[in-house]
Amino acid sequence: MTCFISGGAKNGKSTLAQNLAVRLAEGGKHYYIATMIPVDEEDRERIRRHIADRDGLGFETIECGKNILSCLDRADPNGTFLLDSATALLMNELFPVEKNYEMDLPAAYRCAEDLCTFAKSVRNAVIVSDYIYSDAVRYDAVTETYRKCLADIDRSLAGVCDTVVEVAGAQVILHKGELTL
Amino acid sequence: MVLIIGGAYQGKLDFAKEAFSVAQEDVYSCSGPEIDFSRRCIDRIEEFAYACVQRGTEPKAYFEAHKEQWRDSILICQDISCGVVPMDTDQREWRQAVGRLCQYLAGEAGRVSRIFCGLEQRLK
Repeated sequence: MTCFISGGAKNGKSTLAQNLAVRLAEGGKHYYIATMIPVDEEDRERIRRHIADRDGLGFETIECGKNILSCLDRADPNGTFLLDSATALLMNELFPVEKNYEMDLPAAYRCAEDLCTFAKSVRNAVIVSDYIYSDAVRYDAVTETYRKCLADIDRSLAGVCDTVVEVAGAQVILHKGELTL
Repeated sequence: MVLIIGGAYQGKLDFAKEAFSVAQEDVYSCSGPEIDFSRRCIDRIEEFAYACVQRGTEPKAYFEAHKEQWRDSILICQDISCGVVPMDTDQREWRQAVGRLCQYLAGEAGRVSRIFCGLEQRLK
């Protein structure tokens, strides 16, 4: 079962995603794909907090800030995968740190395709993204490109995933498929 | 009239084309303070509203004045209502004007659909 989750910041997406992944795993292997590539102490602190949040849930952590398909070399595709988030993954692909954050548009397109392939290659996947499309700001071209690339990923994943949910106020709005928690 | 709303890049126009068999030549894509209502589908109404704000006119009043021309149309407007209040005066007024317009259009519409990641959520 594959589930795509989006919604505004701090609405409960990650909590829902964790609970769903644990339930889907049914006691079997479940992996947390850590997408953040830490660059400073603030990032490291955030990662420590996230690790503490997942404590006791039995996730095996896979570090994968780029090239999502490389996860499959390091994990059992019959397991359950929690990817939180597509937003961070795209950031790493579109603005690669090793190229001094210079925009890499082909990498973003590949990222969208790879995520769909990934979702179709594993038994269970829960993929979290961020809904950043409804504000009244006229952004610069770089930010606008990032928004468009993430929307492409979101729409592609919403197309291939069995279930699509939006989270608002920790409540689920079901857009596609079924969800039992 | 059908009103389609949703965030940027969510697939609102693609949905209109598929659900209502709208061809590209049926689409008027707004970029200024006037609208060609002879086209069946009016896209990017938020850009029309932005041009109105810059010109100092009220987009809702324009729609009210042309009501006979869009009663069977498919109208598409981006939802720009959810961010922080913009610092820029025009962007602030733009957000307000789009909100007033969409409330009016939703009231007049026979159907209101919100598009989320390419998927329709029927609101009315």
